[in-house]
Amino acid sequence: VKTEDLISALSRGVEPAERPRWRMNLAVTLLVGLVVAVALVAIGLGVRPDIGAARMPVMMKALFSALAAAVILPVAVQLMKPGRPLGWRIGAIVLFAGVCAIATLVALMGEEPSERMNAWMGGGVPWCVVLIPVLAVPVAALLTWFMRAFAPTRITLAGAAIGALSGGIGAMAYAMYCPTDSVAFVTTWYALAIAVCAALGAVIGSKFLRW
Amino acid sequence: MADEAALRALLLKGLAGDEAAHRAFLTEAAALLRAFFRARLRGRNEDAEDLVQETLVALHTRRESYDPNYPLTAWLYAIARYRLIDFLRRAKHRNHASLDGVDIGETDPDYEASDAKRDVATLLDKLPEKQRTAIRLVKLEEKSVREAADQTGLSESDIKISIHRGLKTLMRLMGQEQTT
Repeated sequence: VKTEDLISALSRGVEPAERPRWRMNLAVTLLVGLVVAVALVAIGLGVRPDIGAARMPVMMKALFSALAAAVILPVAVQLMKPGRPLGWRIGAIVLFAGVCAIATLVALMGEEPSERMNAWMGGGVPWCVVLIPVLAVPVAALLTWFMRAFAPTRITLAGAAIGALSGGIGAMAYAMYCPTDSVAFVTTWYALAIAVCAALGAVIGSKFLRW
Repeated sequence: MADEAALRALLLKGLAGDEAAHRAFLTEAAALLRAFFRARLRGRNEDAEDLVQETLVALHTRRESYDPNYPLTAWLYAIARYRLIDFLRRAKHRNHASLDGVDIGETDPDYEASDAKRDVATLLDKLPEKQRTAIRLVKLEEKSVREAADQTGLSESDIKISIHRGLKTLMRLMGQEQTT
């Protein structure tokens, strides 16, 4: 087949292209992912028993996670379609990470030296680094499926963005279970868990984004 | 060769359903792509032509991914670069394919269409029957969607969806073909 013939075949009887309603679909995808993650926490981990009394810290942690997701979202949206610049959107993520680091230091400074380690590590192994990525899997799968319908051309970065975004959503759900409320713990380990999700997304997610 | 603004106008008209504009867009895009791939695959014009065809199908089936708020050439070359990287990745798995001369270089002024290495027509046979029939009737035998629907007993939207899916499958097959 000559290229001209292919062009004729492709253009023959072309229909008006549908403008994909991606904003609505993306919002629904994220919402469904969040609901699934919350359900997983409720069934698999169990909501922390003092959720009534601890409403405030739980809200703060969920808000922190939502903020992380919100900072990553613009980058993910840009990577969804070919040839769109990232620009300031990367800067926003860097800024967010910087603020996390500073907040961690400030919060630890405010603790008694004997309490610092406890406040930072949450008095044990920070399981969230493992559990948040697990909770992120359903959202990540949905987002990957969603993004494949478009034409991501930088698939490693796109995979990382999907991973990080899913990590943020997973962390929102995880906040309902997480028994540790210290600021330094959240700004360190939640952020790290999201970074782990990004790394996994870059390695694994990109395999599924090929088209 | 058309500039950014002209090319963009053609694509936008094509997106609105203007067949002639869409054809003109693909023709102009083919010339740009040919120069792009030949500059990067020096001396492998058949491979370059394979990539031109593959990318044209990609541009066509993913055309709704173009956002008018961004430059058209950025969109077009992002897809071209992606197809090239995908091609090189496959070539690497193939081992014996030399990656020599694959580099960013001067644009090849000579962009005559040569024959592509593979024949898209033979790939059609690998499609599921419904998609193959839809593409053959509408795209090759120049029937209208209505006629194709009548002839096959499928609904019109079924025909359209089959064509769209078939073209996407075809693009994937075009990629796999190069690895064999």
